[in-house]
Amino acid sequence: MKNDYIPYPAVIESIITESFDTKTFRVKFTDKKIADNFSYVQGQFMQISLMGTGEAPISISSSPSRKGFLEFSIRSVGKLTKKIHELKVREKMFIRGPYGKGHFPFEEIKGKNLIFVAGGIGLPPLRSLINLIMDNRKDFENVKILYGCKTADEFCFKDELKAWNKIPNTEVLLTVDKKTDDWTGRVGVVTELWKDADIKSDNAVAFLCGPPIMIKFVVQKLEGSGFSDKNIIMTLERHMKCGIGKCGHCNVGDKFICVDGPVFTCAEVKKFPKKDGAM
Amino acid sequence: MTKKVINKSDISKLLIDANNEYNVYVPMEHIGGDVLFSALSKEKNSLEEDVKRINLASEKTFNSPKEIFYPQLETMMEYNDKGEIKETVESSKKLVFGVRPCDFHAIAHQDNFFSKNYEDKYYLSRRENSLIVIIGCNTPPRPEACFCTSVGTGPFLTEGFDIQLVDLDDYYLVEIGNEKGADFIKKHEKYFSDPYRDEIKHAERKKLEAEEKINLKVNFNKALQIMKTEEIPQDNLERIAERCIECGACVYVCPTCTCFDVFDDVKCGEGVRCRIWDTCVFSGYTREASGHNPGAKKEFRAARRYEHKLKYDTLETGISGCIGCGRCLHSCPVDIGMSNFIKEITTNQKYH
Ligand SMILES: Cc1cc2nc3c(=O)[nH]c(=O)nc-3n(C[C@H](O)[C@H](O)[C@H](O)COP(=O)(O)OP(=O)(O)OC[C@H]3O[C@@H](n4cnc5c(N)ncnc54)[C@H](O)[C@@H]3O)c2cc1C
Ligand code: SF4
Ligand code: SF4
Ligand code: FES
Repeated sequence: MKNDYIPYPAVIESIITESFDTKTFRVKFTDKKIADNFSYVQGQFMQISLMGTGEAPISISSSPSRKGFLEFSIRSVGKLTKKIHELKVREKMFIRGPYGKGHFPFEEIKGKNLIFVAGGIGLPPLRSLINLIMDNRKDFENVKILYGCKTADEFCFKDELKAWNKIPNTEVLLTVDKKTDDWTGRVGVVTELWKDADIKSDNAVAFLCGPPIMIKFVVQKLEGSGFSDKNIIMTLERHMKCGIGKCGHCNVGDKFICVDGPVFTCAEVKKFPKKDGAM
Repeated sequence: MTKKVINKSDISKLLIDANNEYNVYVPMEHIGGDVLFSALSKEKNSLEEDVKRINLASEKTFNSPKEIFYPQLETMMEYNDKGEIKETVESSKKLVFGVRPCDFHAIAHQDNFFSKNYEDKYYLSRRENSLIVIIGCNTPPRPEACFCTSVGTGPFLTEGFDIQLVDLDDYYLVEIGNEKGADFIKKHEKYFSDPYRDEIKHAERKKLEAEEKINLKVNFNKALQIMKTEEIPQDNLERIAERCIECGACVYVCPTCTCFDVFDDVKCGEGVRCRIWDTCVFSGYTREASGHNPGAKKEFRAARRYEHKLKYDTLETGISGCIGCGRCLHSCPVDIGMSNFIKEITTNQKYH
């Protein structure tokens, strides 16, 4: 019987400092057999461990179209994530997964206009899908990426944001809650971008990830623009301990976010019991 | 069904014999008088002492056998600073002797939960080589709290078990439910003899009397029906939240609660990753690293426990996650408990 709780070593090949509190780690399984048998889908996450410190769920931020490695973009917020930030190239972390039956659609959204809305550390899970789309760009219509952070030094994937913006029919719109001296762009919460973005629901699907308060207001905006619940797709976060539907922590109604999610349509989320704080 | 009898005075001899082949778990008296499922010692002198502490008649077995297969605290893996990880699974042969019928239903619930979606190797390995001997309840262990007849889980089992004992004062009638049970009896056949017709009749009478002794009745089916389609009325939730002191007793004694937390512990470059029971009634249970806590409100946390057992488990498997053991009420310092909750919602004016 497979023991799904046992993580496997993965060596760090490169580290990119994204922002003052976020780094992207590119890793590879050290065991060739595990690496060869491994595959994942956009929107899935893995459980990342440092033995002796603990374990946490982290989204895979790389695209499944780019093979041979995995990327995790991790914000340093606590015990484990601080320790991960201290790691150097060639050092190891322990990973298991991928988890989440509910992942982002791909084939189903070909030929559509796509809108991404991310807040803060919400961009990493969306990045997996965004890069998958960029690698198959001709199969999709207009792509708009709306990304808001508290301050300008919080933006992740700065080079990619620029590169995406240069691709035809692809637009990246950024905003910050609080202006600092080095910021000349837009100021205001992410929903303020509606003024500039010309968001239309025709033949369109929207993808969101961010703090609960952002999700709430962005959904209202999207609905105002004519989006139906099933065309609003979001990835949810919950406190998680196992990733495999056993520890109970991520339970919402009759669902476990780790197994049944973490990606859901807004229509599904609306069916969750209100009191479980889903939306 | 094949039936045998065993003299009560032979039980300890049987268990000592079985202790050679199995780890034997049986209700034993501890300091202070608590009767808890514990393992018989493998060491000769301590074994003699242990056997004296066996207490099967006691109506006081406090804990359920849950922790034999799913310990409150268990090591999941060991690791060292060389980066080596070793899983720690346990799969010894176990004889669990003296399990109550409702708790057997709880084990079936756990078996299903730990094997669906992803298999939980820790639970399933511990459970794998186990033989379970039921003792039916001639009198309810928790007279003010047991409500098995309302749920349909006791006071005796009719099928599904390995072996079930019926207490006939000086003897037990032994009902053999399957081949596994039959093999065990055959191996230890010197302790067993064939029953007389009177003894079988006596046992049937005892079973009927036992049902009549379960005084606490709730309208369980109505509760399931309400939970299936309705939201729990706010006034019911508030009454629970007002009183609950969040001690967690109800969930720790519940034989079907499964939630756990995971933590690492290190000493001198060597360490363990462990899991420990956790519970949805605690406010920190759902707190995320950002500080956001979707389970912050107490009445919603209370609702989660009832909805999980009565609604979601039932919708998923057709069988409720509460087996009517009454331990939650028995342990609750402020008298909340599943049966009281059921009484409250089934009598709520809203549903009349
Ligand atoms: C599906 C999923 C995907 C995720 N993907 C990513 C990702 O791609 N990138 C990413 O960076 N994160 C991601 N996360 C979030 C990530 O899992 C958490 O940030 C991580 O678990 C934090 O672990 P930690 O040990 O570093 O923090 P912890 O030490 O566990 O705690 C973090 C913070 O919570 C505080 N805290 C603890 N207790 C209390 C209390 N009682 N009151 C107030 N505060 C308290 C701590 O002080 C600390 O500041 C994801 C989460 C999920 C569920
Ligand atoms: S909820 Fe209460 S009565 Fe039901 S199984 Fe758990 S402890 Fe027993
Ligand atoms: S035993 Fe009673 S007081 Fe304690 S957590 Fe359970 S319901 Fe609340
Ligand atoms: S993370 Fe443990 S059940 Fe979902």
